[in-house]
Amino acid sequence: MQLREFFVPSAIKLDLAAETKDEALKELVSCMGLDGKSEGILYKMLKRRENLGSTGIGRGIAIPHCRSLVVTRLRVAFGRKLSGLDFKAIDEKPVRYVFLIVAPPLEVSNQYLPVLGRIAQFGKEADVPDLLAEISSPEQFIELLDAKDL
Amino acid sequence: MDQQLELLLEIQDLRMQRRGLTDGTLTDLEAEVFDIKIEDAIRSLDEKVEELAQRLTRGIRERYRRIADKAPRVVAPVINGICYGCFVAVSTARASEADRNLRVESCEYCGCFLYHVG
Repeated sequence: MQLREFFVPSAIKLDLAAETKDEALKELVSCMGLDGKSEGILYKMLKRRENLGSTGIGRGIAIPHCRSLVVTRLRVAFGRKLSGLDFKAIDEKPVRYVFLIVAPPLEVSNQYLPVLGRIAQFGKEADVPDLLAEISSPEQFIELLDAKDL
Repeated sequence: MDQQLELLLEIQDLRMQRRGLTDGTLTDLEAEVFDIKIEDAIRSLDEKVEELAQRLTRGIRERYRRIADKAPRVVAPVINGICYGCFVAVSTARASEADRNLRVESCEYCGCFLYHVG
């Protein structure tokens, strides 16, 4: 399994318009191609997960995630906000890179946990924040995943 | 979408989230990577589920409790006409109705509330 298989260019936003955590979640949810009602339900679930504890893991990276009935397969999205977002992250620093992961309750291939784990591992690599700051296109984002053999 | 069905969807998603927190791998990830206090999170989810359940109408709440007591899944997605609670085809008329998700329906085989996806 390669992470790149799950990212599509339309769900890679290198210049998020969002100014807040909530707006960033909404903006990334809107990349999923769902109807308005489903987007609302998914956003609510992601918020509920954030209420349990921030998904900002430090070093400018957040990984909001949840399972929901409104999606039929695992979806991921990436958003970048170089000026930073207040995500109440573990290290209390602004979040600049947001990886969104959503999966249905039932998955034949059970990819949710491996994908979540690999993105968390990716986010902890020392050079990743700087590399994510430098990319200038969705294709370069995919190339970065390839370069990291993810 | 029917508002009661929407509540049921929320409840189901929260129950899945709770279940995930008792799954070894996700529990470890949530605790180690995201610094979640698992017991607190489970308590919080239980409270939220109950709060939402109280907003169900009496009849639906009673049905919900009957299913929830027996199985982890109270709402099953219907994908391409198949109930993913029991993997049996729901009736064609039901699956093809234009107003699907506009009322609360249950699978005649497994009893799960049905949510038509897509």
